[in-house]
Amino acid sequence: MASIKCPKCAAPVPFDTGVKFVKCPYCSSLVYIDRTGAGFYYAIPFMVNENDAVGTFRRWAAGSTKAKDLDKLAQLAGVKKKYFPVYMFKRDVNGVEQVFIETAGSTTLPGLHNLKVPAGDLKVYDATFDVGGAELIKPDIEMTPYLNSLPGKPKEQALVFFPIWTIDYVFNQKKYGAVVDASSGEVFSSEFPTRSSNAYMAVAGAGFVAFIGEGLLATSMLIPAIALMAVTVVAVFYVGLQVARRM
Amino acid sequence: MSDGISVGLNCPACGGAISMAEGENVVLCQYCSSVLAAEGDQGVHTVAFKNKTLKDAAMGASQHWWTHGLKARDLKTTGKIVESYPIYLPFWKTTTRVAGWVCGYEERRHTDQKGNVTVERIPKEVMVLQDFTFSEIACDPGDLGIRTMKNFMGETTFANFEEIPTFESTTSKDAAATRGLNDSLAKARANAHVPQVTLDTLKAFNKGLTLIYYPVWVVRYNYRDRMYMDTVDGVTGQVLSGRAPGDPLFQSLAMTGGTSVGGLIAAAGIIYAQSASDMRIALGAVAVGAIILFLTYRFFRHGSEIIQGEFKEKKSIASALKQVQQVGKALEGLR
Repeated sequence: MASIKCPKCAAPVPFDTGVKFVKCPYCSSLVYIDRTGAGFYYAIPFMVNENDAVGTFRRWAAGSTKAKDLDKLAQLAGVKKKYFPVYMFKRDVNGVEQVFIETAGSTTLPGLHNLKVPAGDLKVYDATFDVGGAELIKPDIEMTPYLNSLPGKPKEQALVFFPIWTIDYVFNQKKYGAVVDASSGEVFSSEFPTRSSNAYMAVAGAGFVAFIGEGLLATSMLIPAIALMAVTVVAVFYVGLQVARRM
Repeated sequence: MSDGISVGLNCPACGGAISMAEGENVVLCQYCSSVLAAEGDQGVHTVAFKNKTLKDAAMGASQHWWTHGLKARDLKTTGKIVESYPIYLPFWKTTTRVAGWVCGYEERRHTDQKGNVTVERIPKEVMVLQDFTFSEIACDPGDLGIRTMKNFMGETTFANFEEIPTFESTTSKDAAATRGLNDSLAKARANAHVPQVTLDTLKAFNKGLTLIYYPVWVVRYNYRDRMYMDTVDGVTGQVLSGRAPGDPLFQSLAMTGGTSVGGLIAAAGIIYAQSASDMRIALGAVAVGAIILFLTYRFFRHGSEIIQGEFKEKKSIASALKQVQQVGKALEGLR
């Protein structure tokens, strides 16, 4: 845990990221942590390991909008563990607290249109923080230009490293990329192989029209209509099952 | 300031150490009994709920959840829990009092035997004095499928705070308070049940803003090499949200039911309309059939994954239902 120096007895006082007041364990003084003038470095620990990240990607790839069997057919071309930097500013704008998230690196992630600080356990990033072999993407944009251009007075400013798994995969000889947020397991992607809805729509449309026709027929010829309906029920069920399984 | 960021707090009258919690702005010095007011950014009142659910109970609740609903039939035999751990999620909770009057009228249509329509206007005047609670997650919800608090009752303690990973609040407290006010005003207006509003003097007052840390179990499980997840309430032990594999059998059954019921309703409407020579009945019946078809089609197309909770995809389903409602209203206008 990170610590600050007690202003009374100079002993190190450990503090958690979210707190404003902390009690010195030695002299019991109450210490207020003033974040207005300092820039903090935070990092979110990895909660999803490599296997879980790949598994989460496969679950996402099995989704109804992705190409059929993408979860099984996608060939992984590279799984990388990274820390991605964003700036988070808390400002007092005319007495109202506002949070601003700004980019810290010129690298962008596929599918992450809105920059954000993902849900996670913010830890103070210092020499004692273990990145666990993750590649740290260095911020190449400084904090100071933002400080001067943002409205209001500073309350807190921080550089937040958030944990991601970048997954490159090949499908039908084409390369794609996805990002798995290693804290909550959210998957981001800008482009992926898609599944056509045609077969699904054909079953729905044909079944609906057939039943309307058979319903109309039932007024003049009841028994043939019921027989036709039975055939249609079986047909829609069977074709629907095949489409849901294979298309 | 010695360290730049640490400021020692002591009583300006006697020099004794002060003990106060975040969110308090008046404190009594325990040594000299001076009344002290804290100025500046004093934070918000913070509460943590006790994690009462044990690991086995969280896993048991998840496995029980697998057997309910239209999830893959082999999930309970094939699914395997890989890990489960508790986290503290931050929520903003506001209490708002809404007071005022909502005035307006309600219109009632009467049709007499000759087919003449008369519109009766009933004036309405409703007094509102009610407290509302509003909650929203205080960080990005990511893929947890949780946005609001479902339960506000529980033992509060900071005892588990050290051992459970705590997700920090990263959204603005004032923005949450504003959303709380607007939400309460909207709820109060809806509760007044005045269909046509002519005058509305409702005022909302913020009675309190609290940051609540709520324990939630994250359960990750494996099904056919895919990793799914669900969350379990750490206080009540109920499954809050989750993703689970679906089953082609249920998708196909839904489509069979949707096409047959939808198609036959449409056909029945057309037949009835022919005998009654009123085309509007036929239109209405076809619309009802099409809505049934559309809803079952959605499940047929996207039922390969079953989701429960406040996920981003859920919003699109809600918006689809809204579209259906709008189409329904437009058709009603035709009638």
